Order: sequence, then structure tokens, then C-alpha cells
Amino acid sequence: MKDRHCFWWLCALFLLFAPAPAWSAEDYSFDLSETEKQPFYLGGYTEFSPEISSADKGAALYRLKHYNHDEAVLADAYAFKLQLEGSYEKGMARLFTRINVNGGYAFDEWSDEANVYEGYLSLKPSSSLVLEAGKKTLRWGKGYAWNPVAFLDRPKNPDDPELSLEGIVVASADYTRSFSGPLQTLSFTPVLIPVYDSFNDDFGRADHLNVAGKVYLLFYDTDIDFIVLSGASKTSRYGADFSRNITPSFEVHGEVARIDDYQKKAIDSLGQISVTEYDAFSYLLGLRYLTENDVTTIVEYYHDDTGYEAKEMAGYFSFIDHAYNTYLSTGNEMLLAKATVASESGVGRMNPMRDYLYARISQKEPFDLLYFTPAITCIMNLQDSSFSLSPEVIYTGITNMEVRLKANIIQGEDASEYGEKPNDYLVELRVRYFF
Amino acid sequence: MKKYLTVLLAVFFLAPVYAGTVSAAEEDTQLLQQIDRNMNPESYESYRKLINIEPDGRKKEFILYTVKKDADKVASLFLEPASEKGRSTLRLGDNMWLYIPNVGKPVRITSLQSVVGGVFNNADIMQLDYAAEYTVEKKEEQGGEVLLHLKARTRTVSYDRVRLRADTKTLLPTKIECLTEGLMLIKTLYFKEVKDFGGGIVRPSVIETDSPLYKGYKSVMIMAKIKQREFKDEVFTMTFMPNIDSLREAAK
Repeated sequence: MKDRHCFWWLCALFLLFAPAPAWSAEDYSFDLSETEKQPFYLGGYTEFSPEISSADKGAALYRLKHYNHDEAVLADAYAFKLQLEGSYEKGMARLFTRINVNGGYAFDEWSDEANVYEGYLSLKPSSSLVLEAGKKTLRWGKGYAWNPVAFLDRPKNPDDPELSLEGIVVASADYTRSFSGPLQTLSFTPVLIPVYDSFNDDFGRADHLNVAGKVYLLFYDTDIDFIVLSGASKTSRYGADFSRNITPSFEVHGEVARIDDYQKKAIDSLGQISVTEYDAFSYLLGLRYLTENDVTTIVEYYHDDTGYEAKEMAGYFSFIDHAYNTYLSTGNEMLLAKATVASESGVGRMNPMRDYLYARISQKEPFDLLYFTPAITCIMNLQDSSFSLSPEVIYTGITNMEVRLKANIIQGEDASEYGEKPNDYLVELRVRYFF
Repeated sequence: MKKYLTVLLAVFFLAPVYAGTVSAAEEDTQLLQQIDRNMNPESYESYRKLINIEPDGRKKEFILYTVKKDADKVASLFLEPASEKGRSTLRLGDNMWLYIPNVGKPVRITSLQSVVGGVFNNADIMQLDYAAEYTVEKKEEQGGEVLLHLKARTRTVSYDRVRLRADTKTLLPTKIECLTEGLMLIKTLYFKEVKDFGGGIVRPSVIETDSPLYKGYKSVMIMAKIKQREFKDEVFTMTFMPNIDSLREAAK
């Protein structure tokens, strides 16, 4: 077991620190065949990421996930990923697909899955009009870590917000007009979202056709969106966002979202499930600041009105402890299964509570180290003061390769969000090769 | 009465001097505009290869397709390397965005950042006409070259001061120094290998740059297929950023 760890880590470290070939300086050449456009395109990346994590065996979410495993405190895991993109273009039509294949080895088990993340047909009758139909991501919103107005997207991981997401099946149009004057751009994006047994069955109630729309304005050098989702699969949602550069190096952005008749399901320490219905009003405010020496700071405050109060989370964690103790004394898994079902209904999501602060500081190429970007990210739950802290360094000096070494330190009191996560810390090396 | 007479005399003698100054300033602006036009048509498409060269000789190359319209609209699409393919940048005056296909939405960026690393920053890659961003403060003639001292029109322009040297006969730049307000040198651009691109476009095909801030590093930009082409304004919008590749003509 130990030898296997050493082998994989040595492979990864070799890739990170292997001397790159020293190309000799030569006359500059530009082969024009490199600029020729082909109707077909095939590309993507492969990724290998070994990881070591330290288990928090007393944490509620560790007990819920691994109650029937006897794991060591230090665990290793290996993930493999292939993201494949392909397109074919003819005239004004373009077919595009993005396929994601994940494999992994963790806790002595192999896993794998393949998903079509996106696959759609795009028609561009003019530069003002784009029509699209198929599975795609819309990525609405201006926030970096969270997007309360992204009504049509799956939630992104605030710990790695730039990861690609699986889309939903839609038919959409983008109609754009440009003007001179304070209003420079106006775009209208209507979207149809079919929800049936074979389409978007995890989006909401089935057998309905839903309608969404976005109006985008570039007005007085400010990006502004107005967003609406209406239909029977989900309750109505309305949102707006903005982004503006106050100075060339200082950007501010924000989002507001209202969800009518939101139903929040909570579970208490006795396992009783309650449903509360209310209009949820969430918002996000953020800034991005770049200093003269290329230090970028991103700070966001997020209030998620669909999130849980501290006492609701404490009740959930207490129920998991009760279910775990019942399992230990009787071998009965029923209560743990109930806690798992409750997790899937909302309380187990990435950031399930109400008030968060995100801060990321990164410096591009410090000390003249070209292609090195060190960064540190903190996500803090402001209700219970628990947090995760993630220092990382990214190296992109080898053509088509990106290497990231990242640690994640998770801290919090008992019954707090991060205090009850399955790990105390983890270290991950991610080597990505683009082709 | 004596006072009015003094004012009238002053106006009489100073007006031609002032008019001459205005006329010289206009001439200098026209000269800068001419240099801009000699470099590119006002609306065009082009291909560029950017090469970042490290002190040990290692290189990293990028290929970009670029379209420009009017004085303040530029969009670029990365074609190579594979890790950057599909990324696009858009500049509308002082507004700049970067679109990354994986992220799936454009985000605002600033002119001082560099999407490619190395010595070229975003303003260099999405260069507008110099006359749109700078005024001519002073003109000097030195050994077959004209030296224009340029000052940024607004504080949002990435370099406060620029010294532009151009050949007096061809009115093509030979060297451009980018400076801070306190005249500290940020980088120098060297324009080399004048080439006929067809359609009346004759201009330097290679731009080298170095910077005292990146000692030993060098970046090079090689131009190809510069062609006058008209585009609709809607091409230069955030919504169109994922579709810039559709503007390129397929290989025959």
C-alpha cells in the first residue's frame, strides 16, 4: 500500500519539477497553416490528481459517509479525468459537445462515470442573432464563488468555481443590438426549459415546459442583467446582477435573487422533518482589485436566504450522531439512511447555511517567476465562524500543461459547518494536460 | 481707453501665435493618426503569434485571431496552444472582458493584467489606435526619425506617457517606450521587418518587447494576414464572445 503511494506521488512530483526541455533561441517563424480553420475540432484535457486527506473521525459528515468503513486517519485517493470537446461547423451551423469522464480510486474502491456535460446545435443567421438547442450551461450571474441568480445552472463548487459544469437541456436565442451613447449593448436571451421524464428530470416537477429570460445591458460602462424564471417545475424566480470597473484595477459586482414560495426542508435532532415556505431573498456583493504588482484580490459576501440557521444545522448534526450511535449499538442503518435522504434535500449541499465570506488573494508571477501563480483562498461561514483555508500554487510554464498543488485546511467548532466536514485537511496535486 | 487699447493690441499680436499653436497641435495629431493608419486599417482582421522567451531560451507561443473596428473596438480569439484555445478577449473603449470556455461566461479584466503572461499585457494585445488614447505633447525630429512625446488622454489608459519614434519617410513606428507618469520606463517595443501584407498594408511584421520589470525576458509578436474587413457592431459585444471563431473563414 505504502509503495503504491510513493510511486504515484513520485510520478506527480516528477511531472511538477522535471526540467523542461531548453529550446534554443531561433528566428521567429509563423507558419500560416497554423491559422487555417478546419470544420472539425477535437480537443480537451486529461487530468490526474492524487490526494492525501486527514479524516476527522468524530465529525458528523465523516460518520454519515463512512460509518461502515474502518479507515486509517490518513487516506489517499487518486482521481483521473478526461474532458473531451468536439465540434463541427458548416456555414452558420455548429454542433458542439463536451464529455466528462471521471475515474477514481479511494477507500480501496474504484469508481467511474461519464456524462455529456454539453451537446447542442448552434445557428448564427447573423452576428445579432444566435439560436441554440440542446444540453448547455448558461452560467448566469457575476459572482465568482456563488451565483444566486444562476436559476438554470447546477451549483458550482466555490472551492473550485472555474470547473466546468453539466448543463441542462434548453432551447435558447440571443438577440443583440449595439448603440452609440450611454447604452452601448442590449441583449435579450429567451430560454425554454422542457422538464419531462427524459429531459431535465432533476430540474423540478416533471411534464412542464418552463420559460426563462435574461436582458443584458452595457449601460454607462456597467454590465447589468435582469433575469426571470417562470413555469410549473419550480416556483417563480427573479434576479438582477451588475459588474462595473470603478477604476481600471477595481471592479465591483453584485447579484440579487428572489424565489417565490421557497420550501425549505429541515431535520431536527429527533429526525423530524419540517417544511417551511417563504419568499427567499438572496444577494451577493463582491469586488476584485488588482495592485500594480499583479496581486489580485477577490472578496465576496453572500447571503443565501434559502440556507439553514445554525440551530437547524446543529439539529441535523445531532441527529447524525444519534443515528450513528444507534448503528453502533444495534447495527440498524435505518436512521443513517434517513439522514442521507435529508442531506440530499438541501442540508447536505456544498454551503448549506446563510452567510458566507469568500476571499482569494493571488499573485501572478511573483519575484519574476514567470508562469507561477501562488494564491490563498478562504471561505468562511459567518454564522458559526468555521472556515476552510486553501493555499495553492499553479505553474503553467510547460506548454499545454497546468500543475496545481493545493492544500485545504478545514477548521470549526463542533456542530459548525466546517467542523463537521469529513476531513481536517487535504493536500491535492493536480496535473492537467491539454490536447 | 488705454486699457482697452492694450487688450486689443495683445489680441492682435497673440492671436496668430495661438492659431499657430493650434495648427501645430492639429498637425501633430494628424501625424499620429497617420502612423495609426499606416499600422492598420481602421477596421481589420489579423492573425498574430505571441512568443514569450525566458532568460534560458525556453519559449511559450500563442496564436490569436484579432478583429478591430473603429477606434475603440477590438476582439481576439486564442487558437493555440490547446490550453488556451477558445479563450477570447473583448475591448470596448475602457471596458475589457475575458471569456474562458470552461468557465462559460465573460469576466471583466483590466488593461494592466496579462492573459498570456510575459511582457505583453492586455492593453498591448488589444491595442487601440494611439491617437484614440493619447495626445501629442511634443514633437522632435532626430536623424531621419520623428519622436512624438505622447500623454494619456485619461487616467484609465494603461501607460501615462509614451515616446513613439517613427521613420520620417514611411511614418511607421520603429520604437515605442511606455512610461509611468514619473517617466519610469515600463517596457520598450521594437518594430522590425517591414512587410507588404497586400491591400496597401505595408508595416512592420515583428514587434519585440522587453522590460526592466522582467529582466532577461522578451516577448515577440509576429503579424500575419492583416486584411481590411468590415464588421457589425454586434460582433464587439459580450454576448458574441463565444462565437468569434465563426468570423474566421474556413480553409478552402
